[in-house]
Amino acid sequence: MFLTKKYLPRRTVLRGLGAAVALPLLDAMIPASTALAQTAAAAKPRVGFIYFPHGAVMNKWTPTKLGADFDLPQIIKPLEPFQKYLTVISELENAPAIAEPVHAVTPGTWLSCVHPRVSQDPYGGVTIDQMMAKAIGQDTPLPSLEVATEEEGGEGACDRNYGCSFGKTISFSTPSTPLPMEHNPRKLFQRLFGQGDTPAEREVLARENKSILDMVTGDAGKLRKTLGARDQTALDAYLDSVREIERRIQKLQANKSSQPDLPPTPAGIPDRFDEHIRLMFDIIHLSWQANLTRVTSFMMAAEVSNQPYSFIGISDAFHPLSHHQNNAQKLDRLAKLQAYNTQLFSEFVKKLSTTHDGENTMLENSLILFGSNMSDSNLHNHYPLPTSLVGGAAGKLKGNQHLKYAAKTPLANLHLTLMEKVGIDIDKVGDSKERFKEV
Amino acid sequence: MLKRRTTLCALVALLSVNAHAADDPYAAARKQWDKFDTYCTKCHNNDDFSGGFSFDGLQPEDLATHGKIYEQAILKLNAGMMPPLGQKQPTMDERKALVKALETSLDAVAAANPNPGSEMLHRLNRTEYANAIRDLLDLEINSADLLPKDVESSGFNNVASVLSVSPSFLEQYMLAAREVSVQAIGKPNAAPVSRVYKGAPNASENQHIDGLPLGTRGGMVVEHDFPADGDYDFSVSGLVGAGYVWGVMDENQLIITVDDDKVFQAKVGGKDDLRAVDLKQAEGVGMINDRFRNIRHFVKAGKHRVGVSFIMRSSAETIEPLHGFVPVDGMAVLVQGVSGGPRIDNITVAGPYNPKGVSETAARDKIFICRPAQPSEELACARRILGNLAQQAFRRPVTDDDLASPLQFYSGGREHGSFDDGIQKGLMAILASPKFLYRAHSPSGSSGVFALSDNELATRLAFFLWSSQPDNELIALAQANKLHESATLQQQVKRMLADPRANALVVNFAFQWLHVSGLEQVNPDKTIFPQFTFDLIPDFRKELELFIGEQFRTDRPVGELLTANYTYLNERLSLHYGLNVVRGGQFQRVTLKDPQRFGLLGKGAVLMTTSYANRTSPVIRGAWILDKLIGTPPPSPPPNVEAFPETQEGAVALTVRERLEKHRSNATCKTCHSIIDPLGLSLENYNSVGQWQLKDGDAGVMIDTSGTLTDGTPVKSPRDLALALTKDPERFASTFTRKLMIFALGRNLEYYDMPTVRKIVHNAAKDDYKLSALVLGIVQSDAFLRDKPVLEKDVTVATQ
Repeated sequence: MFLTKKYLPRRTVLRGLGAAVALPLLDAMIPASTALAQTAAAAKPRVGFIYFPHGAVMNKWTPTKLGADFDLPQIIKPLEPFQKYLTVISELENAPAIAEPVHAVTPGTWLSCVHPRVSQDPYGGVTIDQMMAKAIGQDTPLPSLEVATEEEGGEGACDRNYGCSFGKTISFSTPSTPLPMEHNPRKLFQRLFGQGDTPAEREVLARENKSILDMVTGDAGKLRKTLGARDQTALDAYLDSVREIERRIQKLQANKSSQPDLPPTPAGIPDRFDEHIRLMFDIIHLSWQANLTRVTSFMMAAEVSNQPYSFIGISDAFHPLSHHQNNAQKLDRLAKLQAYNTQLFSEFVKKLSTTHDGENTMLENSLILFGSNMSDSNLHNHYPLPTSLVGGAAGKLKGNQHLKYAAKTPLANLHLTLMEKVGIDIDKVGDSKERFKEV
Repeated sequence: MLKRRTTLCALVALLSVNAHAADDPYAAARKQWDKFDTYCTKCHNNDDFSGGFSFDGLQPEDLATHGKIYEQAILKLNAGMMPPLGQKQPTMDERKALVKALETSLDAVAAANPNPGSEMLHRLNRTEYANAIRDLLDLEINSADLLPKDVESSGFNNVASVLSVSPSFLEQYMLAAREVSVQAIGKPNAAPVSRVYKGAPNASENQHIDGLPLGTRGGMVVEHDFPADGDYDFSVSGLVGAGYVWGVMDENQLIITVDDDKVFQAKVGGKDDLRAVDLKQAEGVGMINDRFRNIRHFVKAGKHRVGVSFIMRSSAETIEPLHGFVPVDGMAVLVQGVSGGPRIDNITVAGPYNPKGVSETAARDKIFICRPAQPSEELACARRILGNLAQQAFRRPVTDDDLASPLQFYSGGREHGSFDDGIQKGLMAILASPKFLYRAHSPSGSSGVFALSDNELATRLAFFLWSSQPDNELIALAQANKLHESATLQQQVKRMLADPRANALVVNFAFQWLHVSGLEQVNPDKTIFPQFTFDLIPDFRKELELFIGEQFRTDRPVGELLTANYTYLNERLSLHYGLNVVRGGQFQRVTLKDPQRFGLLGKGAVLMTTSYANRTSPVIRGAWILDKLIGTPPPSPPPNVEAFPETQEGAVALTVRERLEKHRSNATCKTCHSIIDPLGLSLENYNSVGQWQLKDGDAGVMIDTSGTLTDGTPVKSPRDLALALTKDPERFASTFTRKLMIFALGRNLEYYDMPTVRKIVHNAAKDDYKLSALVLGIVQSDAFLRDKPVLEKDVTVATQ
């Protein structure tokens, strides 16, 4: 038995947890029912949003040459082998991210370009990864995947006025629904491929999960009848989630043939932070290979991360080091750390380049935004942002360019452009003004 | 003396005004209304609209509709934050009169039109889930590994409105239901799983660690749940290293213990190992570390303590420094080389191999309240077992309908496996149900305010005082419909506060209130604080836990949290504080003569949480005091302010105070900093790691701690500050009550809750503001006992 649609009349309607808040703007923004049809025939890119915190030492990120065959300064140097698929975009600003708390709203506004309301309960903008998930993620088991490496960073990811929600995730499925990011590789692996140690055991447990969901639906339905109107709405978010997981199980079973050979379930979180990042990239790669999702968001380190990178000889914690005070030695160490993050990312890109995806490689079919929502970590400013695109987007990205727009061009213009690249025709994202034609 | 008299006068005034309040609730406010024109409308007018509101044209009759603004005004006036520096200031008496008048009118309006607020459908958070499992199954689970971390609101992680649910979230709770039920029943044919336990990166290996056998030093101990009787492989890694050769200088005996029984002992280091590392470097290290991998040992199912440590030797036998060496981030290798001792990076437990079934465990004892002697008894027994578990898990009497699904899962499991397998499936169904995951209040009757049912009340009480589910006594009283009766309620609150589970009020409520989680984030700079070791962090927590715990247990007046003249210390912490009074690793109660360590302000946990890694921050400490103890968090600094000037090489070093003064020379900054800084500067005699210091670390001159609070009180020591903050006992009691009420109700406080807060605090006066009086005041308030269905989502106001 599967869920009846009794309690969930409109799956594409956005709902806040707290109430049936009216979202006219957002309803209009996401043509959820049409996008799927429009994009079904076209090759669908795999979309990744790879976020690193604390910006970049910009003079070691930004190429000096414009156009094709640009130079690659230290921090983006590791991407050199893939320059053909690399676009660096300079002079972008995310003005809606400017706020009193210098870290607490930074991650959560990167992909929305909407300034959140002052409230402990989150209310910001839907992020483009989630808009895409609604449009192109519906025929994979998971509409999207949210991944991190740290549960939380240090002081400053929370704020008195804006709460904690915007500091800990880069994904919002509604203005008031931050999506938690999974940092435990073991849990992530189990969620993607199932609990159980053998394929047979996984199969049994998957069937059991279906029965649990049936039961849960029945229980929630009865509970709902005893509640007031607002609480019923809150429970609807729960029922939405139940339905979503049911759908996922169905898709997974239909999808069984494309499962790659699975490595053993990771035992837990690795000792070394870079091994942890690598492992998360590996699982993301595996999930793309298994066609489990098209849209993935990944925070390589937490906002206000205090990880030391001692494995490359940097003993300073990341966040204090990012307050470099323009001290030359600190800047050197910070740039080295940032280049190392790019190095870890480029290892993932390399894997994509050697994985087949239909007629192409997976890299050719990918559209990856790699960047940060901060510029100079000493000033905590949001201009000019380190921003790059990697992949061929199934033929829709030109690649091998360094583009420089007018000073303080909205980052949201790029988001609007990316939406178009995956086949979603909307007029506006956040404070966007126009699409980029050059990308 | 003068101050006390004024308070008294105000109190008398309040009482007399109250008498008329029934006729005209606005009378009190009306008499003071001209003060707004005198002191406020210069900025808060329709043109300037400072702070986003105006007093222009507002009349006393508007108080209720603009309650949010006026409650804010009361807080700002009380804290001396408004009118801002440089503007015309009311006298202390004027200030108090205006506050009292506003409060009187607001309270009168509220009394005529009570608003208990509304609690949203409440999901169990991670801590509550783990506690509920502990009480339900006698099973400690690692909730951090199983469940996602919860979002906080107003500093607390149990605020219903942000405890949202997403598919990934729900999925994790489903996985958790399976994992917990398997763990509780045990899994006779469990496949091997490995789990890595990381050691603290900078822990000292030189002292005895609590929980490990006496006569050992260093190492780590973990509670591991073994799913079946069987063989398990233990591995210890990162013992020795090459490069800067460390860990092998001389011979140490490493031991592995399970529940204090030694199961393995072997030497590490010494002549042969040193030679191996010297000659073969990494290869040698690999060979040595391999000796400590996959050490197999048979263990019975259930929870056992696994320890790894070294046998303590006399200091004469070692080349280690007599007093602990200092591990430094990144430089650890070098320092370890100097010390010469091996270190324990992490331990891994993998298994079971060759499982031999499941022995009896505490969890199984709790679950199997009957055992079927023959197949025909099985179903009846399963019904008893699952009925018993469901009643506790669902926190109310269960019906046949409630048991239908769990029994169905039981049957499915029994069909393909044993009776135990059936019970495991049934338990999983209970834990996966929204009836376990959610706490709800069902509106009774019409759409207005309604009283909670006794079952709902039992649940609310238990999650407030224990952060867990109600016990059988509460459920029984609720079933008899007696719990809501005033005498019963009081008696139950006293009983619950005396129960060990009430420690949740300390480690869950108080630690969140004081933001102790910040301790882990400070990471003190070892070159500046070589005396600091990371073992002090758990010591700081323990000290605070025992101190606040005693305050609750002995039911002291709330103000004594700031002034009490005792603490709890072990040897390490006592030496850290420069008090040579305790021997050994156990914590002991110490009565203090010197006020340095009195109250919360003298505790290392508080002092370090509010510091930077390399220096103190009077601003962080001041802002912390404003937020946590005074209850009016200062606004964040405007963006793009110049960074605090760090001491540069070669430049003349300035004291923190001098640098602060330089920093706030700007008039805009000064408005807030003149309030924040004196609070923090009075604690300047504590360094970043909470030690008493007389001289500024950078400048090397005597520290000047003097300052003046907004009400004109001079302060120059932590003692002065503690006394100033508790001078008017109602003020601190009010802040504390507001924080406790957020936690108790699981929602943010709104302006319309403030009359309730004032009533609770006012009523607690006759009980000397004892902690139990404030707890009882909350429990007996309408906000706690009643609920109101709400259609529109309330917008949060920053009144906390």
